[in-house]
Amino acid sequence: MVLKLIEELCIGCRLCQLACSVAKEEVFNPELARLKIISLYSKSGLNYKTSLCNMCLTCVNICPTEAISHQAGHLIYDQDKCTNCGICITACPESVIASRAEGIALCDLCGGSPACVEWCPHQALMNQEGN
Amino acid sequence: MSYTGKLLRVNLTTGHSQVEELNKQWAVDYIGGKGLGLKYLYEELAPGVAPLSPDNKLILMTGLFTGTIIPLSGKLAIITKSPATGTILDCSIGGHFAAELKYAGYDAVILEGKASKPSYLYIEDKIVEIRDASELWGQGAQETELILREKINQEVKALAIGPAGENLVTMSCITSEFYRQAGRGGVGAVMGSKNLKAIAVRGSGSISVPNIKQFASSMKEFMQTDILTDTNLWANTDGTALLVDFNQDTGILPTKNFQQGTFDDYQAINSDALKAVRSGKKGCFSCALGCGNYSRTGRSTVEGPEYETLALGGSNCGISDLEAIIEFNDLCDNLGMDTISVGNVIAFAMELTEKGIKDFGLRFGDVEAYLKIPGLIAAQVGIGVDLGLGVKKLSEKYGGSDFAMHVKGLEFPGYEPRGSWGMGLAYATSDRGACHMRAWPVAQEAYGDLDAFTVEGKAQLVIELQHYNAVKFSLILCDFWALSLETMGTIVSNLLERTVTEQELSQVGERVVNLARQFNVREGFTKDNDTLPGRIFKETLKTGATKGQLLPLEEYEKMLAEYYSLRGWDRDGRPTDAKLQELGVN
Repeated sequence: MVLKLIEELCIGCRLCQLACSVAKEEVFNPELARLKIISLYSKSGLNYKTSLCNMCLTCVNICPTEAISHQAGHLIYDQDKCTNCGICITACPESVIASRAEGIALCDLCGGSPACVEWCPHQALMNQEGN
Repeated sequence: MSYTGKLLRVNLTTGHSQVEELNKQWAVDYIGGKGLGLKYLYEELAPGVAPLSPDNKLILMTGLFTGTIIPLSGKLAIITKSPATGTILDCSIGGHFAAELKYAGYDAVILEGKASKPSYLYIEDKIVEIRDASELWGQGAQETELILREKINQEVKALAIGPAGENLVTMSCITSEFYRQAGRGGVGAVMGSKNLKAIAVRGSGSISVPNIKQFASSMKEFMQTDILTDTNLWANTDGTALLVDFNQDTGILPTKNFQQGTFDDYQAINSDALKAVRSGKKGCFSCALGCGNYSRTGRSTVEGPEYETLALGGSNCGISDLEAIIEFNDLCDNLGMDTISVGNVIAFAMELTEKGIKDFGLRFGDVEAYLKIPGLIAAQVGIGVDLGLGVKKLSEKYGGSDFAMHVKGLEFPGYEPRGSWGMGLAYATSDRGACHMRAWPVAQEAYGDLDAFTVEGKAQLVIELQHYNAVKFSLILCDFWALSLETMGTIVSNLLERTVTEQELSQVGERVVNLARQFNVREGFTKDNDTLPGRIFKETLKTGATKGQLLPLEEYEKMLAEYYSLRGWDRDGRPTDAKLQELGVN
């Protein structure tokens, strides 16, 4: 499974990020979301800036303690194994992984049914089979 | 609690800023947004303050819902004394600024005084700085945002004015995200008078509410069953442009300075015409609908045009060239001006010219001349000096008061009151002059089952709608979620963890309306100001579904007297002591 955004359908409402911050952090704060989708106007038109986990598995491969694994189509993070080294944060090409007071925050697709996808009002964000 | 409980007060004269506790009792009585902003202004502003003097204040107010996952809660209320009307003025602006301000830790910002030189305010959580804006001064509202994004951060959220606001034009607006405006009544000029070019904010904080997962889950349910429904989805599929056809059919599409209620070329400027040039969609923060139609033509790009621009800048000026209207919209947006008022003043000048009263060289349908006006008004050069006065003052200077389409100095929006008599009462009694956002009985009269051409029951209807909207803009929610007071009550109850009934909410609405009225009474407004231009009472419309219609003056006066009586106001439109006491307004 992997998150896919269809930009033409996205209205830039950030409900996906709010839904993520509720599901994962139990607060409203889009900055704490494990994805980022914003649309901004410029003189050339409407531009999208996105950070979505694309299941490249760089983090899985680079983690020295096997704290991140890929099972049943999504990532699994084991905080007990994490040494807070931060390598995954630096290595993530999409800048999705963030540091927390203890360990890291990554997108685990909410274990298979992502809150962001459930909230997207225009089906711009999808959880696609594959990878 | 989803209030931050903090208010940021910035004195631009001294450069001093301080954080204060939000007045908790006022937050109970007025909730937030419009209502709470009005309360602060009413308490803090001495009567008779000149709107463009340093003594006026500019208040940015978020609400109980701001920054949460409640869909369509992304709006910010901006409150001040209007330089266009001298009344109280509140505007609501979409985009992402309001939520960002709340994440920065503030429910509200109160701006006072006047900076000694062009400045912008930067807020990043606890950092509050008044910064030099000399390189921004003179820039368009859109360029200003781009420069701020480059200088600070691509994700900074900003409110900005264009040259019109700098030049104190009383139809200037405040802009956010290129195409969102606090449009009416000259809020941009108030910012300009304070030498304040922009306000930029970044916030990193979180908002918590009780039982957040359960709360979010109930909001998702509302989104599916009460928002993403046919009642509301027109905002996404068509946007407000849909109203061109509705209003043509019902004979209330303002045409040639409200001389007609239908426009022969309406199909050139309707939603279908607009869909042909649509190139994207954008919504505000937390909006599930997304009404912003991004349109692109060979000459310009714009989000919109909204119905009001299509009507006032289109049919009302006799303009059927959609590309020209889009260009007009784009010009006004970047110069920082309200398309409703600019469209109106051009149409009024066209009629003055055609009637031989004063030759502005403007004629209905003359695209070339029409497109020159926004720049002239914003820069205050040539005939732009006169046109920048607005319809009311222009009529006082040259005549034509019978067809100067304004109330209290605020120009008419795009709904002909001769085809919706309750709308006439709504314009006349709105707190900021002719406005369609305080009550919009058009839905019931022109599109619904009510007889549009009677005053029977209209006073009560307008009162109920005014209370409903006053609550909605105090929560704050966007106009485009047609939710019931009961649903509002459910959401508020969940957030506050106490039962808030729809009656209580309606009473908040009544309190807000009465407080706004008290402000205007204190400024010297009387029954004489609650009226409409002579055209509405004297001239019959000649085409379409409103052919042969006017609003008879004696019928209007009957409706107004009933309105005062039902409100518990005296015959001159002053709230009685008993009414104020009942509502706790003092």
